[in-house]
Amino acid sequence: MGFWAFFIIFASSAFFLHWYATNKALRFNAGIKEGSKLPSLPQYYGLYTLLWFIIPILSTFLIWTIFKPFLVDYLVIQKIPANLLNSFGGNPSLILSTVKAISLQNIFPGTKQELIDLAKYMNELKYSTSSSFYIAILFLGLIGSSFTLKKISSRFRARQSVESVNIKLLIFCSTIAILTTIGIVFSLIFEAIRFFEQIPFFDFLFGLSWSPQTAIREDQVASSGAFGAIPIFSGTLLITVIAMSVSIPVGLLSAIYLSEYATNNLRAFLKPILEILAGVPTVVYGFFAAITVGPFLKGLADSFGFSIASESAIAAGGVMGIMIIPFISSLSDDVINSVPNSLRDGSLAMGATKSETIKKVILPAALPGIVGAILLAVSRAIGETMIVVMAAGIAANLTANPFDSVTTVTVQIVTLLVGDQEFDSPKTLAAFALGITLFFVTLVLNLYALKIVKKYREKYD
Amino acid sequence: MTKNFEKINDSLIKRQKSEKNFKLFGLIGIICAISFLIIILTSIIIEGKKAFVSTYIKLDVFFDSKIIDPDNTKEDSVIKSANFNEIITKSILENFPEVTDRKEKIKLSTFISSSAEDELIKLIILDKALIDQKKELWLLASSTIDVIHKNPDMLNFPEDERLIDDKELKWFQWFLSEEKIKFSANKNFFSNADSTEPEQAGIWGAFVGSFLTLFVTLILSFPIAVAAGVFLEELAPKNKFTDFIEVNINNLAAVPSIIFGLLGLAIFLNVMHLPRSAPIVGGMVLALMTLPTIIIATRASLRAVPPSIREAAIGLGATKFQTVTHHVLPLSMPGISTGTIIGMSQALGESAPLLMIGMVAFIVDSPGSIFDSATVLPVQIYLWKSTAARGFVELTAAGVMVLLSFLVLMNAIAVYVRYKFEKKW
Amino acid sequence: MQKNKIEAKKVSVFYNDKKALNEITLSIPEKKVTSLIGPSGCGKSTFLRCINRMNDTIEGCSMTGRILIDNKDINEKSLDPVLLRARVGMVFQKPNPFPKSIFENVAYGPKIHGLTQSSDELNELVEESLKKAGLFSEIKDRIHEPGTSLSGGQQQRLCIARAISISPEIILMDEPCSALDPIATAKIEELIDELAHNFTIVIVTHSMQQAARVSKQTAFFHMGNLIEVGKTDSIFSNPSEKKTQDYITGKIG
Repeated sequence: MGFWAFFIIFASSAFFLHWYATNKALRFNAGIKEGSKLPSLPQYYGLYTLLWFIIPILSTFLIWTIFKPFLVDYLVIQKIPANLLNSFGGNPSLILSTVKAISLQNIFPGTKQELIDLAKYMNELKYSTSSSFYIAILFLGLIGSSFTLKKISSRFRARQSVESVNIKLLIFCSTIAILTTIGIVFSLIFEAIRFFEQIPFFDFLFGLSWSPQTAIREDQVASSGAFGAIPIFSGTLLITVIAMSVSIPVGLLSAIYLSEYATNNLRAFLKPILEILAGVPTVVYGFFAAITVGPFLKGLADSFGFSIASESAIAAGGVMGIMIIPFISSLSDDVINSVPNSLRDGSLAMGATKSETIKKVILPAALPGIVGAILLAVSRAIGETMIVVMAAGIAANLTANPFDSVTTVTVQIVTLLVGDQEFDSPKTLAAFALGITLFFVTLVLNLYALKIVKKYREKYD
Repeated sequence: MTKNFEKINDSLIKRQKSEKNFKLFGLIGIICAISFLIIILTSIIIEGKKAFVSTYIKLDVFFDSKIIDPDNTKEDSVIKSANFNEIITKSILENFPEVTDRKEKIKLSTFISSSAEDELIKLIILDKALIDQKKELWLLASSTIDVIHKNPDMLNFPEDERLIDDKELKWFQWFLSEEKIKFSANKNFFSNADSTEPEQAGIWGAFVGSFLTLFVTLILSFPIAVAAGVFLEELAPKNKFTDFIEVNINNLAAVPSIIFGLLGLAIFLNVMHLPRSAPIVGGMVLALMTLPTIIIATRASLRAVPPSIREAAIGLGATKFQTVTHHVLPLSMPGISTGTIIGMSQALGESAPLLMIGMVAFIVDSPGSIFDSATVLPVQIYLWKSTAARGFVELTAAGVMVLLSFLVLMNAIAVYVRYKFEKKW
Repeated sequence: MQKNKIEAKKVSVFYNDKKALNEITLSIPEKKVTSLIGPSGCGKSTFLRCINRMNDTIEGCSMTGRILIDNKDINEKSLDPVLLRARVGMVFQKPNPFPKSIFENVAYGPKIHGLTQSSDELNELVEESLKKAGLFSEIKDRIHEPGTSLSGGQQQRLCIARAISISPEIILMDEPCSALDPIATAKIEELIDELAHNFTIVIVTHSMQQAARVSKQTAFFHMGNLIEVGKTDSIFSNPSEKKTQDYITGKIG
């Protein structure tokens, strides 16, 4: 039985059970002339039965998808012939990772036949979910619903039960946010720990040289590469500083103009235009930085007689700054707007001009909120990927010159993980070490910024 | 008192000037922001509009039976395996009898795109009477010729910067003077998937990939986000647990997208062994990213429903759950839909996390299901940008235009929904 | 002979197309307290805000007619509102101290207008203003604490101190006690009495008793019209218009 056959049986039984249970409840009520009828509306009995059909099936299905890979691994290991095991030094997990690396569409010539057989076997296990499994879970659902069908009586309050199940489902959906965070932490931390088993933590954090290219041949010198992340951090910092020095002035000035000077009509016209800037995908900014800004700056520098890198930090950072303008302007606009009007009136009534009011009263009052907005923008700049992948360099130069090419944390993660991945070499694992650094830094920035903004909002609410 | 008045009056001109300057600065800020937008869009349109036409070359093609079907079998399989490259080369050489050198012949034959062979095969199979006939045809030119044709100023470049050498230039100018070269609509762009040849590459495959990915994203994120939003806004007690959920949601909205890609790689691919490069995994990753957006939108529009509605329903004896599902949720649906469309348009433009889960593969066929290898529009743009061939630049810009028009469309729908259905309380 | 400080002549105010004030003509005597009373939405605050052109800051608000201060038209194009507002101070309904220290709040006006040469002079001016507002003795030890840390009544007196720090000729008060408790209100009313020796005061109030307590002249507004104006005593004891009579006896409100 294939997936679709299963799905059709599943859906039609679900419909039928709902209808049958509702009907049964209706008949129950009709059969009682005097005395107590069912305490809930009949459709709640239908819903309750439906829920107890769907929930067992879905949860088993989910658990099965999560644990199946482990089962597959186990079964494949059981199938390893003894001579193969010997040739791999008795290490089954090594065989397993070799088998996983085999792509069946494109078998590398010279691969051992036993390995190919194992790969085929694994593929079979992976992509064929047996009919017996589908039948088993359908049966499980039927057991669940048959219990609930029996429960239809005047003592059973179906509505309360349905609502309590539903609320539990809602709670589960809400916890997905927590599960995601936990998932992120775990997925990063395990691989990062494996990385730090090979590369000392402080070498990573304070090392001045980064060249993760592991050697092609194992006997080559320096095959482990160098993993000092300082040049990457400094590059990220440089590009972030450039981006912020574009976006903070432009974004703040725009926000001030929009919230304090523009008439309502002008504001209604200008704000959506700024929002377009926010809606442009980052890959478009990356393309613009790489194809238009980079060559333009290089040409400009050439005409002034000095040369800059074609993947200069200033091109990537400048365009990233443009991307962040609407972020800063709309957040600061909100913040400035939430400064109460009574303060504006108070200052204007003293005979202050508008700009004096803004500079001396409104901006100081809005400062915490603006700082929060800027911190969120910094966090965004640090984590921005596509612009730097397309317009910044790959080589890790330790420099503060904005006309040089630098690399960033996100660029390195992408370069290390796109292409061949070996989850036992420090080259691949380094991406996770960088990832957890990135996550941690942005997490601290975000939490702090969100806290400031929240406190600020409460102050003027 | 009059002393004060005079003091203020004296400094007034200076203050009025600084007021004007400050206002001007604000205006400059906003003009900067808007001109950035205009520069970005115009530079993309200028580059991208070229990709919507392709260069075609007119040739008198002779369908020589000796090459196509020497044994006169009229079998499709025979025709398909025939050497149509030779037919094309011969027809192009007819125009230049003076060319005899083998290398030069090859150079000439590369004026025509390799896809022209397939065109000819289709033509013959449809109408076998064409065999041993001569027919005037417009054939798709190769990308190099296309680039030269679209950028006429390249003709004046020195030889080594021009993509074609002096001989090829001479031939090209001959076609030009004989009016045997023209622009026509680029059909490949909207119907093909990726290709190594710029003139044959298209956006369709990436479009299908984006569609499948967003489908998965929508199916997963919408119900979960609405459920979470309803619970947190309407039913949840205020305690440490719900506070913690809230902090998590707000933080997830600000976590760099690439981190979600690492999550997808480590959990969906390495632990759960879902297929690499597939829309199912891409959709799951994007769903996790979109959740906070939709949850926040859901909560905002639930909050906008006035409490009087809830009080009315509860006053009639409805439970809290019934109040929400029967009254509050339907009323806030326009706001939730707007938020969802905006979340989806963010997901459509997202590419960094998809790089992590292998959706950067070179995909020649459009994916057929959510388990096939696929790529999406923004990643296709990234891939084309990373390709060295000159012809891909304008293709990339055209891809950007397609992506942007979808985003404009989605946002227009969102604005329409908000304008049309949203109730002001 | 009583001198009139402010003369309003046929003043009408529009919010977009909606008429909020209808041809108000009113004279306000110098160094006296004038109160404007009437039910809410009657236009009394709008009229008050015309006198220092605060309505300019509201989009879509326009005015016709003339307002003269010392026989000069305040709406003349050549007159910068900055100059006008330096002469006409204002105290608002809700105390609105800036989120700065008490000192900085009072020093704000002198600083922006450049009224003092040295910091000693500024300190003196701040202290003097706080004393005039009857606040100095209560807060002299915490003059550098935030203005928002004061109680509501103290905040309102701080705002009065802020207003008088630049020695205006007129002080406009827009329901200055509506957010305060009775004790704080009594203090402010006392202060208003005190200030009337030096300043022309126009006060908008929703409380007839307050108008009766603090003012020499009272004007009654209703639905954008000025119904009656006269000596406070005569307005309350012997109104000449029926609407005034109805309002003070509580028949309309």
